[in-house]
Amino acid sequence: MKCDWTKENMVLYIYDELADDARFEMENHIRNCAGCREELESVSALKQDMSAMPVLEISPNLLAASRMQLQESLEHAEQNRSGWGMFIFDFAGWMNQIKLAPALTAALLMIGFAGGTITTWKVAGSRTPDVISHSPEVKDIGVASIESILSDPNTNNVTIKYDTLHPQTLVASADDPRVQQLLLLATHSNRDSDVRLDSIDLLKAHAGDNDVRDALVSALRYDKNPGVRLKALDGLKGYVRNDVHVRDAVLEALLHDDNSGVRSEAIGLLDPVKADSSIREALEVLAKRDPNQFIRSQSQRYLASTPHLD
Amino acid sequence: MPAETAVLKAAVGASGEKRYSHSAGDMVSQALSRANDSELIRAAQRGDRVAFESLVRQYDQAVLRLALHLTGSEPDARDIYQEAFLKAYRHIGNFRFECSFYTWIYRIVTNLCLDHLRKRQTRREDPATIMDSSGQELDLLDRVSDDRAGANPERDLMRRELGSKIAQALTKLTPRERMVFELKHYQGLRLRTIGEMLNTTEETAKNTLFRATQKLRSTLAPMRR
Repeated sequence: MKCDWTKENMVLYIYDELADDARFEMENHIRNCAGCREELESVSALKQDMSAMPVLEISPNLLAASRMQLQESLEHAEQNRSGWGMFIFDFAGWMNQIKLAPALTAALLMIGFAGGTITTWKVAGSRTPDVISHSPEVKDIGVASIESILSDPNTNNVTIKYDTLHPQTLVASADDPRVQQLLLLATHSNRDSDVRLDSIDLLKAHAGDNDVRDALVSALRYDKNPGVRLKALDGLKGYVRNDVHVRDAVLEALLHDDNSGVRSEAIGLLDPVKADSSIREALEVLAKRDPNQFIRSQSQRYLASTPHLD
Repeated sequence: MPAETAVLKAAVGASGEKRYSHSAGDMVSQALSRANDSELIRAAQRGDRVAFESLVRQYDQAVLRLALHLTGSEPDARDIYQEAFLKAYRHIGNFRFECSFYTWIYRIVTNLCLDHLRKRQTRREDPATIMDSSGQELDLLDRVSDDRAGANPERDLMRRELGSKIAQALTKLTPRERMVFELKHYQGLRLRTIGEMLNTTEETAKNTLFRATQKLRSTLAPMRR
């Protein structure tokens, strides 16, 4: 009986899925039963054999190609969603909502009724043009996209052209919070890489701010344009030693960025932390495998200049 | 060390030590990652594509690795990757935070992989050969660096033979057995999580793993004699 139980649960034992008491019981039994010990050896050997077909790291080319293809498909899907797709009624989804949330349905009907009544009353009343008479917060304007950014070094003024329903322009000091908000928006919400370059260039000076640093890290990780990634790296230069997120992002760029210029810049940034064990590990990989000669030799130089502490 | 204790130690190996290796730091970073995921998911549900792409970047390497190991073909792995994330994008509005995003996306991927394995079983394809994007046959073992001092051509040949026999043995499993074995042995997931991903119970996942290992042992037994 004990042997049957042991044999049935041996796989769970070797894959560390047994509860502590069952594990203890099994170990006690195996110590005293030659048959079960033999069975355990055989199951363990299978586990070891199966590791001869390891799960390998995927190649950067495969990952990059998959990401690119997905990005295109998502763009296409988004266009469909905002085009004809938005007019197609999702009956199944609607049924699901009705089924799951009758109170929500009732509330929606009431809101719809009230909204309709108010709109009718407004249309019947006097039509006044939509004039913004005060200076609104950027988040209230509803920015659609950022057209261009111009900075004047003499006056410290920044001119940002951005679109709402009607194109608008903001002229304000570089330290104005609205400028900062628009610049942060520009780093990730615009498809024009010149705008992203200009915004990162201006934000670099404020990298001490957490939001700005996050935006620079995000640009370094995800921006498609190598120029933008280089600018972001430049902005993060002073924070590699003290901010572990920055260090991780630079390390990631060094290992996985497909642009050798970005990788070369990234390796220079790691100089102050080259003795760090994770950096050392990465440098060892790069010294052997990086396709770029400069990066290989620079990695070797760093490794040679820092003692290996075991 | 007595022989019986040595067998126990060897059997449990690294995994036996791993059970206690979750440090407080790991748990904090997991909790932070979940909180960050929730924000991104909510933004993606509001239609923010950038947020969705950030979610993709967190999980896409694991997804691609799983699909490549299961299908043994780069073009098929890419197809599964595309289909999985597009499906996730279209249905992210239905995500109700009842499980982690990781479990949810893996559920989509494992379903697609199961469909793929079932189709292949009906077509009786030979997945022991692995194809790259250009359709060229690829040997996975070529990509494993063997820097050990004792590495020699004879051992290398044996390793290759073993690899090809394992690939053949894996084709003898049913798609579900293959999936449970893959998620447990190669991806190192807990059986409870595997059950959740495959919409079944932990108990069923355990039984499936037991059946899979029994089959593999009997298929690979002649090789060890």
